[in-house]
Amino acid sequence: MFTKSIRWRLQLWFAFLLICTLSGFGIASFEVYRTRQLKQVDERLGPRVEALSRIVRGPQFFRGGRPPFEPGRDRRGGRPPGQFDSFPPPGSEDRRLPAIPPRDLLESVGGPSLPLPPDLERTLREDLETGIYFLIWNGDGTRLDASTNAPADLPRPPAMPPDSGPHFRTRDGHREAYEFNREGRAVLVGTSIATDLEARRGFALMLVGAGLSVLALGLGGGWFIASRALRPLQDISATASRISGGHLAERINVADTENELGQLAGVLNSTFARLEAAFAQQKQFTADASHELRTPIAVLLSEAQTTLARPRTAEEYRETLEACLETAQQMRRLTESLLELARFDAGQEKLRHEPVDLAEIVRTSVELVQPLAAEKDIKIHCDLAPVQVLGDEVRLGQIITNLVTNAIRYNKPAGEVRVQTRLDANTAVLTVTDTGPGIAPEDLPHIFERFYRADKSRTTAHGRTGLGLAICKAIVDAHGGTIEAQSAPEAGSNFIVRLPQPTG
Amino acid sequence: MRILVVEDEPRLLRNLAKALREEGYAVDTAEAGDDGLFKAETYDYDAVVLDVMLPGLDGWQVLDRLRKRKRTPVLMLTARDAPKDRVRGLDTGADDYLVKPFDLEELLARLRALIRRSAGQVQPSLKVGDVLIDTRARSVTRAGEPIVLTAREYAILEYLALHRGKVVSRTELYEHLFDESDDTLSNLLDVHVFGIRKKLGRDLVTTRRGQGYCIE
Repeated sequence: MFTKSIRWRLQLWFAFLLICTLSGFGIASFEVYRTRQLKQVDERLGPRVEALSRIVRGPQFFRGGRPPFEPGRDRRGGRPPGQFDSFPPPGSEDRRLPAIPPRDLLESVGGPSLPLPPDLERTLREDLETGIYFLIWNGDGTRLDASTNAPADLPRPPAMPPDSGPHFRTRDGHREAYEFNREGRAVLVGTSIATDLEARRGFALMLVGAGLSVLALGLGGGWFIASRALRPLQDISATASRISGGHLAERINVADTENELGQLAGVLNSTFARLEAAFAQQKQFTADASHELRTPIAVLLSEAQTTLARPRTAEEYRETLEACLETAQQMRRLTESLLELARFDAGQEKLRHEPVDLAEIVRTSVELVQPLAAEKDIKIHCDLAPVQVLGDEVRLGQIITNLVTNAIRYNKPAGEVRVQTRLDANTAVLTVTDTGPGIAPEDLPHIFERFYRADKSRTTAHGRTGLGLAICKAIVDAHGGTIEAQSAPEAGSNFIVRLPQPTG
Repeated sequence: MRILVVEDEPRLLRNLAKALREEGYAVDTAEAGDDGLFKAETYDYDAVVLDVMLPGLDGWQVLDRLRKRKRTPVLMLTARDAPKDRVRGLDTGADDYLVKPFDLEELLARLRALIRRSAGQVQPSLKVGDVLIDTRARSVTRAGEPIVLTAREYAILEYLALHRGKVVSRTELYEHLFDESDDTLSNLLDVHVFGIRKKLGRDLVTTRRGQGYCIE
């Protein structure tokens, strides 16, 4: 369920990234901290192990190499060699520090007493007090000596190449540096790093704590941002559900059209507007259709009821029956037209797509309406070029009959109707022009709408349903063509049908 | 009673007029809104049957303009049955509303009720002394005995009884009982009143010389 929610998914991703970043940062920080800690310790241990290693070199400690101290000098006499001038305090980074072992250690090694300056002795004692311990093994692995604070059972570290510099290891809460010299003696200087480890643990805890706080803050902020970002979506969703609930006039409040959601809202709003328009049109159509069907029913009912209200002569019954018949026929035309439109709307109307000659269809249709034209004293002029179209002969005939019948009806007395077919850039064009009073500009955009009547009167007596042009449009649409009307008042009307040519 | 029917469907108009005339009403007809408005403003109809969808002015416009000048009862007739249409009709000043297709009987009953109400009567039957006029059946009894009246006689009696206590001028009677197609001479009124008196008693309808007739 969570994984379905964008907010939760965002939050999970955000948490994942945040945790990765924070743990990377934390681990790196911890590593840097640990390395620096060790380096600090190593910088104290390293010089001492080197110095001790030099001191215990050879049986007399001084064979080979350069002696760290002048032999035979009076202990308290002249100054020690220059190296001692600036003996740094413990922890100093001066690599030249010659670490001086404590007196008891030196004495036990058995060499002659080294001339140790008193400050050095003091430093070594201080070393002992700060927990630094010293250990020296002979070449055979036996312990030569050890400072008093050294661990009693510490074995000699694994052998290393002689004089290969101090090696470092961490052992059970201790940091140790050791070196083997050429004689095989090993020197080890170590110290407990318990306080360092404690500090390290504290640092780790601090890192974890800080990381968790940042994570919590980040997730909270992420939730807030996600909520803010998703609020327009929720608005859109709420509006959309109100619209789907029937409130078609509702629109999404588009506060900011610049951002992506604003554009989405704009698109949705225009969709809703089209939907509403389609609904309104459908509603209008239903209302019109019901009106058109109710009126003839009212006629039927009232005719029959009036006639049956009292005894009538045969002639009166006959008149009533004729009126009923006429009304019923009008209803039949209307329902047929409505059904026809409904079939086109539902896409159920099966049209044939055969190559037919539009001019030929026009000729046949004009012949059909010729009697009506003659009755109204209207002349039909045909200007027909053979034009092949893909279509349904019967349906195309219906369009032409409809348009020409209209042209005859809405013509001036003794007017003219001109029917033309031609080919215009791969399009078959049919035009029907009359010399009637024309269509008012305000009516022109609506004449293909169902039940739209320019004159507003219900001239059903003429057998019109108000659906003729709508059906024409439906047929033309089904053929993939277009139909339009051009007209100016008192200048006649011109209906233009364009149908696509068969390709290939 | 004189009624104006405004309806643009010619067959329905013709039939309604016929049915109403057979009910004893004088009926005028109009096929367009403006024509209907003109007639409704010119004559004092007892009721107007008004279709909504009309060429010229539509039913709403006719009603709206008529209401500025007259209180003639109007029954709207329409194929639109949405509640908001009915509300609009009644709010615009229509007295009643009937949706097509309608039953002729219902239309006639609603018209009778409209006319009765506008004359200030609430009962469908009118009693004058021992004379009882049943406006539903358009029949008259005197002391329980059915009396046969001609349509004209009944119409005059009903009109006078509806406006009981009021002196009704000959012109008014003429206006309300004869439609524009009648070429009946006004002195025929006397003939009908004579018939009423003969059948229902001399004292029922009194003549106010120079003013008109009255049922006390």
